[in-house]
Amino acid sequence: MDPLTLAIHATPAFVASAVEFVEATTIVLAVGVTRGWRAPLIGTLAATATLAVIIATLGVALVTIVPEAVLKGVVGALLLLFGLRWLRKAVLRFAGIVAIHDEELIYQRELAELRAQGMRKTEFDWIGFLVSYKAVLLEGTEVAFIVIAFGAAGGTALTAATVGAIAAGLFVIALGAALRKPLTMVPENWLKFGVGAMLCSFGVFWFSEALGMEWPGDALSIPLIVGAFLAASWLAVRMLRALLPEGARVEARNV
Amino acid sequence: MFKTIWSTLYGLLVDDGQLAVGALVALAITWVLAYAGGDTGRDLAGWVLLVMVLALVVANLYRAGVDVRRRVSSAQR
Repeated sequence: MDPLTLAIHATPAFVASAVEFVEATTIVLAVGVTRGWRAPLIGTLAATATLAVIIATLGVALVTIVPEAVLKGVVGALLLLFGLRWLRKAVLRFAGIVAIHDEELIYQRELAELRAQGMRKTEFDWIGFLVSYKAVLLEGTEVAFIVIAFGAAGGTALTAATVGAIAAGLFVIALGAALRKPLTMVPENWLKFGVGAMLCSFGVFWFSEALGMEWPGDALSIPLIVGAFLAASWLAVRMLRALLPEGARVEARNV
Repeated sequence: MFKTIWSTLYGLLVDDGQLAVGALVALAITWVLAYAGGDTGRDLAGWVLLVMVLALVVANLYRAGVDVRRRVSSAQR
């Protein structure tokens, strides 16, 4: 596969994984800043090792052993459920019904909670270890799911999805290490909106292919499906804004 | 432990039970159409699934908006 084709195929996994990595990085940064770096870094490495085992056993077995049509069908259905969840939340956020995801706020809350826990300097910081381990494992599981989903066709698709996720991880970790503060400049809410539409589109695409349907232009029809999901979501945002005036939208978050 | 695994898996995939059930029904209809509808059914399956899911998203969010409006107005009273 030439680098340009690889980049195109790796982009959906890169974008989707970057969102998850930003969330995990925020937590690890908060732990590191308040309680020191040793325990959260060990927690992150332990979670990464756990994920590697999960992907190596489950993911590779799925892609190599399960027949392609069955895999596409199951992954397509799961992807649609997963994507609809993201898209629904993104629409509710943009309509003002659910509070916009704020990494700075999450970071400050995490700082306050961790400071309140306190620690003894002489002991290994198990709280810092567990908080980081849990955050990286949880967000990492979503990344593993994304890689398996986008790589469901096997071969080059799996390679591209893996490359995309690794590139996103390296990019976000490098950014977090350089700044040492929450990555608020990443347009996370917009990315989530796009990722929700992409996941749903891949879900519809894979599931239909598993049933034997041939899309016109094959993978070229995916942008068209993404466009349809974005248009429906935009319509839903407009509809919700019309249903609820501004004051009611703010109040809705507290009801 | 199984309860925790189940709740994590449920949380990962489902945000709203009705939306998830609706999606599963749409997938089942598509499957039936592809297998019982012959070549035409199979060729149309994807488009039918797309239309059903788009309608489901808009309808689910409309219902969510109406629910929120009702809760806000009852909280104001």
